[in-house]
Amino acid sequence: MRRFAALVLLLSLVGVPAASGQESVDVADLLEAPIDYIGEVSVVGELIGDYGFRSDDSMWTQLNDDSYAFDPVLDDGALTGGNIGVAVRIPAELAASLDPPGGYRVRGPVVEATGVWKYHDPDRGGETYIDVVGLTVVESGRGLTEHPTWLVGAFGFVLIAYAIFMRLRSGPRRG
Amino acid sequence: MLIKPTAEDFRVVGFNLGRISTLVGAAGLVPLLWAVVLREWAPAFSFVLMIGVFALMGELGGMINVAHRRLDWSHGMVVVALAWLLVPAFASIPLALSGHYASVLDAGFDAMSGLSTTGLALVQDLDHLASSLNFWRHLLHFIGGQGIIIAALSIFAGGGVVTLYLGEARDERILPSVRSTARFIWAAALMHLAVGIIVLTLVAWQVLGFGFMRSLFHGLMVFFAAFDTGGFAAQSTNLGYYHSTIFEFVAAVLMVAGTMSFGVHYALWKRRYRSVMRNLETRTMLVTFGLTLTITIVGLAATGAFTESLGLARYGFFQLLSAHTGTGFATVSVQELAGWSGLAFAGMAIAMALGGMGSSTAGGVKSLRVGITVRSVVTQIKQVLVPEGALVSRSYHQNGRVRLTPELAQAAMTVSLLYVALYLAGIGMGLVYGYGLGEAAFESISAGANVGLSVGITDPTMPLLLKLTYMGQMWLGRLEFVAVFALFGFLYSTWRGK
Repeated sequence: MRRFAALVLLLSLVGVPAASGQESVDVADLLEAPIDYIGEVSVVGELIGDYGFRSDDSMWTQLNDDSYAFDPVLDDGALTGGNIGVAVRIPAELAASLDPPGGYRVRGPVVEATGVWKYHDPDRGGETYIDVVGLTVVESGRGLTEHPTWLVGAFGFVLIAYAIFMRLRSGPRRG
Repeated sequence: MLIKPTAEDFRVVGFNLGRISTLVGAAGLVPLLWAVVLREWAPAFSFVLMIGVFALMGELGGMINVAHRRLDWSHGMVVVALAWLLVPAFASIPLALSGHYASVLDAGFDAMSGLSTTGLALVQDLDHLASSLNFWRHLLHFIGGQGIIIAALSIFAGGGVVTLYLGEARDERILPSVRSTARFIWAAALMHLAVGIIVLTLVAWQVLGFGFMRSLFHGLMVFFAAFDTGGFAAQSTNLGYYHSTIFEFVAAVLMVAGTMSFGVHYALWKRRYRSVMRNLETRTMLVTFGLTLTITIVGLAATGAFTESLGLARYGFFQLLSAHTGTGFATVSVQELAGWSGLAFAGMAIAMALGGMGSSTAGGVKSLRVGITVRSVVTQIKQVLVPEGALVSRSYHQNGRVRLTPELAQAAMTVSLLYVALYLAGIGMGLVYGYGLGEAAFESISAGANVGLSVGITDPTMPLLLKLTYMGQMWLGRLEFVAVFALFGFLYSTWRGK
């Protein structure tokens, strides 16, 4: 959360450049009142899941702007509910040099995506997404370290060993 | 007079629960292997612990000396009802240790939801969850959908297994013996598994442009959730993540296959197409699907969200199919679904409540019961209208001619009414906690009919009692009441019997 707050502060001080008419919005607001934001928007969040490069020279992925985008659970981030994300369609040339998308042990790149909010786009069979025209990497992607609890595994192995011991002692069973 | 269960009764129950524990523990080896291959060590250790617990329970059960292993009716029902509580309780160990759940109860909620093929979820930060844990969530759909008991029947010998089969709400014996029926069910599932995963993987790889291994992962996850009418997804935006008509089409085919009874699968395998189309169950499902689809599309058009008919048809059809088959996949956000007021909302809720076909992985009242109830009412009306002494046909077609007896009609209506009561109980609890009638009804029906669509009530912050209510609804809805009632009767007899 500290990193999230620092990032918000930084963005407000620097003043993220946005093309005229582009409204900086939270994904939660987009989903809550989608019709209110039809047109140009700007969102900041983590690219997560997969990069799907399609035959029309576009790349589809998901952008999350929840607290986990800045502090994932694996990085001791607090639990704040479900993810909040939206689909983004990015021109392939803009997506070519991005860090790998977020997932387990990976915090994907945090980007500022500017583009057109398409709510049930009639040209794409009614899909809802942001058609990105501009992309700025705010924070690079990074690896996350998992903290395996060896004791959990050891206890499990003891239980399995004991179960095998019991099986061997009791001999073959009917049934 | 109530007869108190004997020590032998408890031994028989314990022995059979042990067998089932061994089987689920063995299933846990698959995600463990997955975790080891991907070097996801934290989840791997938690899988080892879970397998250890199941193995120990299995061995403790195996140590019980039983005079005869033949299960009678009540033993079978009690075993099934308890197995469906114990398995999610211990299967939730890796989830609870993942750090993605606010409490052990939340992890248990997801395990029950997975096993009962519901799909409601309390997981947090799903998009960063380890793939092996995601795999386990989806594998629970497959284990629950194909039936833990079915698996046990296929592998273990033993008498009286028919009661286990019936206890898991499967009343259709396709082949002469229950064991051969169980094996057919697994054969059909594995055939769909092979074809489904290949097609989904190819679409994800070639059309969506994912990497091959990730395509395989998504193919597996979507197959488990679609064919077992579960509804979990690998990403938080559910099936809307894929943004592909072709991918949705493949998932829809699998959803339909999953909601069909295995009797229909067998008839199609034997190329008895005409018989399938004449079945009361098939016809009822087609009629209710057509009616609820019309209601939903008209309602959706009235919301003004879609400006052209293709998108309206695509989203309306997929969401309604997802609701009626009991899958619970969503291609729209929770917020948008919650905004589908009026007819669209009603169409979806009715479809969820009615559910899919009997002896399938779908939940809800089930088409055959709906058909029998309607046919029974129509017959009664006809009987009143025709001249005295005239005969009214009292039969229907379901893999052959079946006589519509008063007992059959009564049984269908009783279970239907129990489902209504189950839905009402969840609605009441939702209202107590201050949710609106519409959203309380939607969420309750979704839990009770094992669908998994949500309008936002199911959330880690929801009241504890509501979580327990929905878990109870999933359990009761999946087992279609009888096994649960038998367990309560067993416990009451233990307390008050002589």
